[in-house]
Amino acid sequence: MGEHDEARRAFLLKSAVGVGAMAGTALPGEALARARGRHGGEAKAVESAPAKTTSAHGGTENRGLFLNEDEFATVAAFAERLMPGAPGKAGAKEAGVANYIDQALAGAYSDQQEFYRHGLKALDAQSNELHGDAFLYLKPEQQDAVVTALEAGKAPAFSWPAAQAFFNTLRTHTMEGMFSDPVYGGNRDFAGWKLVGFPGAQRLYTQADMLSTEPFKRAAIGLQSVEKTSNRRG
Amino acid sequence: MATQKADVVIVGVGAAGGIIAAELAKAGMKVIGLERGPKLSTASFQSLDELRYFQRQETRPHPKKQPVTWRANASVRATPIAQQNNGNQAGGGTVHYGTLSWRFHEDDFRVRSQTSERYGAKSIPEESSAIDWPISYADLEPYYDQAEREVGVSGKAGNIKGQKIEGGNIFEAPRDRDYPMPPLFVDQAGRIFEEGAKKLGLHPFASPRAIASEPYKGRAACTYCTFCQSFGCFVGAKGSIMVTKLPEAEASNNFTLITGAMVNKVNTDTAGKATGVTYWGIDGSENVVEADIVILGAFIYDNIRLLLLSKTAKHPDGLGNSTGHVGKHLMAHIGARAFSIYDDRHVNIFMGPSAQRHTIDDFNADNFDHKDLGFIRGAQISVSPADLAAGPIGAAGSLTPPPGTPRWGAAYRDFLSTYYTRFAAINAQTENLPYADQMIDLDPNVRDMYGLPAPRLTYDWRRPAESKRLAFMQQKLLEIGKAMGASKVWLGASSPGSPGAHHQGGARMGSDPRDSVVNSFGQTWDIPNLFVVGSATHPTMSGFNPTLTIEALAFRTAEAIATRYRKSPGPLV
Repeated sequence: MGEHDEARRAFLLKSAVGVGAMAGTALPGEALARARGRHGGEAKAVESAPAKTTSAHGGTENRGLFLNEDEFATVAAFAERLMPGAPGKAGAKEAGVANYIDQALAGAYSDQQEFYRHGLKALDAQSNELHGDAFLYLKPEQQDAVVTALEAGKAPAFSWPAAQAFFNTLRTHTMEGMFSDPVYGGNRDFAGWKLVGFPGAQRLYTQADMLSTEPFKRAAIGLQSVEKTSNRRG
Repeated sequence: MATQKADVVIVGVGAAGGIIAAELAKAGMKVIGLERGPKLSTASFQSLDELRYFQRQETRPHPKKQPVTWRANASVRATPIAQQNNGNQAGGGTVHYGTLSWRFHEDDFRVRSQTSERYGAKSIPEESSAIDWPISYADLEPYYDQAEREVGVSGKAGNIKGQKIEGGNIFEAPRDRDYPMPPLFVDQAGRIFEEGAKKLGLHPFASPRAIASEPYKGRAACTYCTFCQSFGCFVGAKGSIMVTKLPEAEASNNFTLITGAMVNKVNTDTAGKATGVTYWGIDGSENVVEADIVILGAFIYDNIRLLLLSKTAKHPDGLGNSTGHVGKHLMAHIGARAFSIYDDRHVNIFMGPSAQRHTIDDFNADNFDHKDLGFIRGAQISVSPADLAAGPIGAAGSLTPPPGTPRWGAAYRDFLSTYYTRFAAINAQTENLPYADQMIDLDPNVRDMYGLPAPRLTYDWRRPAESKRLAFMQQKLLEIGKAMGASKVWLGASSPGSPGAHHQGGARMGSDPRDSVVNSFGQTWDIPNLFVVGSATHPTMSGFNPTLTIEALAFRTAEAIATRYRKSPGPLV
């Protein structure tokens, strides 16, 4: 390893603590593997590792259903740019959007597996072209510039899927992961519902509820909630 | 391969087919209903789950497995539409519909005559193929009344025998009596819409909906949950054919429902008469039902496809198509939409039955003067959540942020988190005219999971008169939104040339075989024992939702078959 590689390694380790800590996946070993791939000549995709279970950021760990570690972390980073978290405002990572998408791709959306594989490759190629690194390792503002290019359809690294199709699909799936019932793997602890004030699978509203100009106060109900309300009025 | 025999075979048991199945079976005829989807019940819908039913469309045909394609014009390749209106189970679209249950206006049945009389024949776009219906509102009134009572509609009359009633729709055609149930509770969005519309001198009212506002015929009343449009009702309050007419059919002991049955051909004999249908069973087997009467009760896509697929030497262009009208004169409701937000209050529009809650009829049909407007006909204008369904996935998909706010990122997050509980959408559902070149045929490039060519829509609504109507309505939406006291009102993104909703036409009824496919009973002119029912038969479409009209026509057809055709098979007209 030369001097350049040492600097690179230090940077990547920092990234792993910064960007990576949010993703909970860009572990130093992997970052090194990536660095070796890039600088050792032959770039090879990092094989998917078994599920990590030690993340301090629950709900963001890759359970390995479909996406490999890199893909998972990239999806998580992309989703976080679409719905970024802030203090008191849950974002895509806190809600577990990447976990939702991984689960969906292994099941209901299995016909979109290749769409994701190709799209994520093109995303990294486009990121490299614009900012010299894979999407996951860019600064948030650089990532935003890449997302903006995709949304505008100005991302020549994409052929299939088209950049806008990839952006639109990621946006749709991110919103699904934010706001679908937690049984699907996202909306962790109703994070998405709390963000917008949706109380979930309420089975009954009164006329007073419906005419109120105040926020609705009853606790959110999910499909797995033990608490049941009556099905019927009167 | 199995062969079964019946007096009547019905393809698709939804709004039209389900009613006819029940009425004919109760009249003592042996009926077989073929349904490509499953048989479900209220118990099937205990998961109040937006992802499953709204987003992933579980009650609708799968857009990839059962594609319907669309193209704006003949020079481009058609691609599958993202969402179909129809249902994919016994009960059809009534299982998931928003329940809007309108009687069409008197002039909805005579667009060409009404327009010519009031504005001159030249005010009808030259290329439009609009014809009057072969029946009038008065002919259908008793059947509208029957449908309102049998499926259970809640609402307030606005015109009983010519007497106008404040608080109801004063533009509605005269009815013999009030709705069987009072309107549903008003919600915050309905209230502010009502206040705003009244300020503008308009006439708002609670939309009539096939939802029990009180216990009705053994069914529970609505609990005002969020999960209505796109969902099966978890208490059975929604007046679907699944919980109203199919149980009647089954209780008659004359009705056999076969689910998972994909009909691929209407069989005809060498004389050209229909002999029954061929279908693929749930196990992949090929089967035949032989019947004296064949009724196509699927949605217009499959009805038209079956007519075209069933061609023979005797019917070389498909069944019912001797004058070349099968698949033509297609129409769709095109939507304009405005969004309004409120900084001084929560609206909480996720509560209550979701679709088109309060309505104004002032700019619909010929209820307003079209002189010098450059278009005829109008739109139903209602207040709704973003996409008729009310959950946050729907809002994230359809509530386009105001100009200047992006669709993603921190600013978008803050917009959605602030206004999801503080917005209302105002929708215009525009009536669009039929044109001969708006059509359905068989897609040569796309096949469905059964290997059949997909129904293909060819259609671009952006004609001058249609665009003017939409632009007029957009202005009305903005005015209403401001009158509602909104902090901000803006137009939702319109999707240019998009296929729209509530497709109608393709096997239209008429008084003359030369310009129509069926008579007013849905009986094909070419083959008297082959009927087509449902919205495919509508010659013009109204700005109102079509379901109650589909149902009223089905009661009328069933009565004619049971009392007249059965005794004396042959043309009913």
